[in-house]
Amino acid sequence: MLFISLAWRNVWRNRRRSLLTVMAIGLGLAFNVFLRGITDGWHDEMVDNSVRAEVGHVQIHRAQYHDEPSVSKTLPDAGRVERVIRELPGVVGCSFRVIGSGLASTADNSSGVEVMGIDPAQEQSVTTIQHAIVKGAYLSQNGQRPILLGESLATRLKSSLGDKVVLMVQAADGSMGAQLFRLTGIFRSGAPELDGGVAYILRSDAQTLFSLGDRVTEAVLLLSSSRQVPQVVEALHHNLTGDDIEILPWWEVEPFIKQFIQIDDAFFYVIALIFFVVISIGILNTLTMSIFERTREFGVMMALGTRPVQIVRLVVNEAIALGLVGAVVGDTLGSAATLFFAKHGINLGAVKAGVAATGITSSVVYTQLTAANLIYSTIAVFIVVLAVALYPAVRASHLKPVEAIRYV
Amino acid sequence: MAVPGIAAQSADAPAIIHRAEQELRAKTEQGTVSMTVRTPEWQRTLEMQYWAVNPDKTFIRVTAPAKEAGTATLRLESNMWNYLPSVERVIKIPPSLMLQSWMGSDFTNDDLVRESSLEKDYDHKLAGEATQGGDRCYRIISTPKPNAPVVWGHLVLFVGKDDFLPRREEYYDDKGTFQKVLIFEDIRRVDDRLYPMRWKMESVTKPGHETLLVYGKLTFDRSIPSSVFTQENLQQPF
Amino acid sequence: MALVELINVSRTYHDHVDVPALKQVTLSLEKGAFAAVTGPSGSGKSTLLNVLGGIDRPDEGKIQVAGVDLTDTPANQLADFRLRRIGFVFQAFNLLPVLSVEENLEFVAALQAMPKLSRQQRARELLEAVGMAELRGKRPNDLSGGQQQRVAVLRAIMTEPAIVLADEPTANLDSANASLLLDMMERMNQEKGITFLFSTHDPQVMERARRLIRLKDGAVVADEIVRVSGLAST
Repeated sequence: MLFISLAWRNVWRNRRRSLLTVMAIGLGLAFNVFLRGITDGWHDEMVDNSVRAEVGHVQIHRAQYHDEPSVSKTLPDAGRVERVIRELPGVVGCSFRVIGSGLASTADNSSGVEVMGIDPAQEQSVTTIQHAIVKGAYLSQNGQRPILLGESLATRLKSSLGDKVVLMVQAADGSMGAQLFRLTGIFRSGAPELDGGVAYILRSDAQTLFSLGDRVTEAVLLLSSSRQVPQVVEALHHNLTGDDIEILPWWEVEPFIKQFIQIDDAFFYVIALIFFVVISIGILNTLTMSIFERTREFGVMMALGTRPVQIVRLVVNEAIALGLVGAVVGDTLGSAATLFFAKHGINLGAVKAGVAATGITSSVVYTQLTAANLIYSTIAVFIVVLAVALYPAVRASHLKPVEAIRYV
Repeated sequence: MAVPGIAAQSADAPAIIHRAEQELRAKTEQGTVSMTVRTPEWQRTLEMQYWAVNPDKTFIRVTAPAKEAGTATLRLESNMWNYLPSVERVIKIPPSLMLQSWMGSDFTNDDLVRESSLEKDYDHKLAGEATQGGDRCYRIISTPKPNAPVVWGHLVLFVGKDDFLPRREEYYDDKGTFQKVLIFEDIRRVDDRLYPMRWKMESVTKPGHETLLVYGKLTFDRSIPSSVFTQENLQQPF
Repeated sequence: MALVELINVSRTYHDHVDVPALKQVTLSLEKGAFAAVTGPSGSGKSTLLNVLGGIDRPDEGKIQVAGVDLTDTPANQLADFRLRRIGFVFQAFNLLPVLSVEENLEFVAALQAMPKLSRQQRARELLEAVGMAELRGKRPNDLSGGQQQRVAVLRAIMTEPAIVLADEPTANLDSANASLLLDMMERMNQEKGITFLFSTHDPQVMERARRLIRLKDGAVVADEIVRVSGLAST
């Protein structure tokens, strides 16, 4: 206890220098926490955008559907899947879709399309396609066979609202299916694959077109938070046994976003590293100077019988004291800043174009504070502090008492 | 049976191919054919009538089953149109969909277009002999000419030594992966020509997928009115 | 057996030139001695104390202190030896400035893992015995030079060392404080039999010493018993 007091009081001998060091550590840590908060918020937003545009948080299909899609690979026992889903906590929306491919034709042109047969109400609970309608209306069960096309597809087919569109497909039983649809809505989602290649029709119409009876291709789930995906996937695996089913988290369906996040994270770590290097230099400087100034004192201590390893411990304790105070300052500042912007958001209007490239359409990003973020950053600070303290500590312990005592 | 004069010619690959094309493709063809498509998930059989003026014009109409009866395909050179009676529409197949399967079979739209471009688009090299379907055959490797609008990396063709009819065509993609094989069987004399009456296209990359064409009535070299090969004809009630 | 024995001890410093600080010194000291080593600067006084105290090593010769042969002892063990058997009093800066007087006394005891209560008690006892109890919570910077040196002596005897080595302890003190300091040390020597060895050129110290060893150029030139016993009369 005496030695701890000794270390603590030694730190505050030069109040100004120690405060500066503590501020350096604190600000560096706070910046890291905040930057991580922005990055986390940003990434979550990206994921959310992609998830809510089409992919959902979790997709369930017949086994191997994702690798080799085929309209005849329908979801086995959809009723059972639905019952299991309805009982899972954390599921906010669920949509059962029919997916197939075919040819969309108008009088002027034809184009290959992916056909999505949806139940409009169910689909609304998962994706935001209904908000992307720019002309006409979202699908509804209105008695005719409505079709929704993306803006660039509609342009390519030269079709306007009210026009007839023929869908020609290969049905699940191999026969050729063809139906006439009426264009009731045009959407612009911002995602080129959707706007140029997808046609939405009613699920019942799709089941007729593809000769599916009452079968569907996939179940898409929206969860209350993307952080719940792993446990929901696990719960699904647990409840939907059998190897005729595949349960895919969003990152297996659209790995691009996860890869982007990983690259982004790598950048973050580089920046964090740079900060920690700067912090280390500060701490190293402070410790080295304070040891230098106390050479004679160390000499006396060693003459009195203090062992080298106890000197090392003393210096390391002093570094830990600096680190502790710095960590408190840094964590407090960083958390405060992150929580503030978590509530009020950061306006990215100025860099909106660049942001849009990552799939985020709103210009406000909300930062996120996670316990993991704080803990890892703080641990990193301590590791740095300890690593940096070792050199001066060992140097101090190697002082020769005879010379040190006489040091003026 | 040997045709006099052939044995005396040198075994020259382009000549063999030329001769094979002559044997297989008359100036005109018309008849009926039954197409059975098998996949691991389903199987169906379509009855069709067809007319062809080689190498540029083809007209095919489905006559059975009822759900698809009246569906028709018209090909003029490299343009294709489909007619769907259920929606009363003629749809032109865009170039982007040429590699899609025709009528759900293992033949692609492109296959129908490229039927007789062997001589025009490929270079041929003789690569030994082999036995196919019990008959001695020339084995020929055909590679696309530069800039030829052909999707394959190369083909391996087996042409009967006696009758110059093909027995087997193997299709390989750019990377050299064996994709599918067309097998000619049941060679019979029909309307004064030797002709393989069963054609089977088997997928190699998708096991269990195959398409079998069995010809019924066939006549060759009759004259066919040009009105057959029109979009109006596509929409004729059947 | 003598408390301290040096046999042919030599120590040379290698700077720009070689400086022989001790040349073949042979010496022994009895328990209970109150001795001073004196001589001009550079004569080797401090070096003598340093090798005796285990903070420097001789190049040649044999040293035995309190039954411990210091000649080939490794650094860690030397630290332990100093801790338990030697008390140091330096000319100045003896005390750790961030610790209170009481804590400074406790420091050496804490190094020996003496429990908090015992060492606190002993520190207080020592302070009381010399009438300095009220200084116990103060920081060294709040004390006068004389008070600091007296506390340093208390610290030196805190763990009951075999010998106290004092290197010019009165050099920074006026004569009144020097006298007070010497009184304290003499009393401890008389009452508790603690051995003291000074290095000094303060005549006040030399007057009080009962044995005077003179060094010149690293060699002993005189070694005499000057008094028998007794406190000096003022």
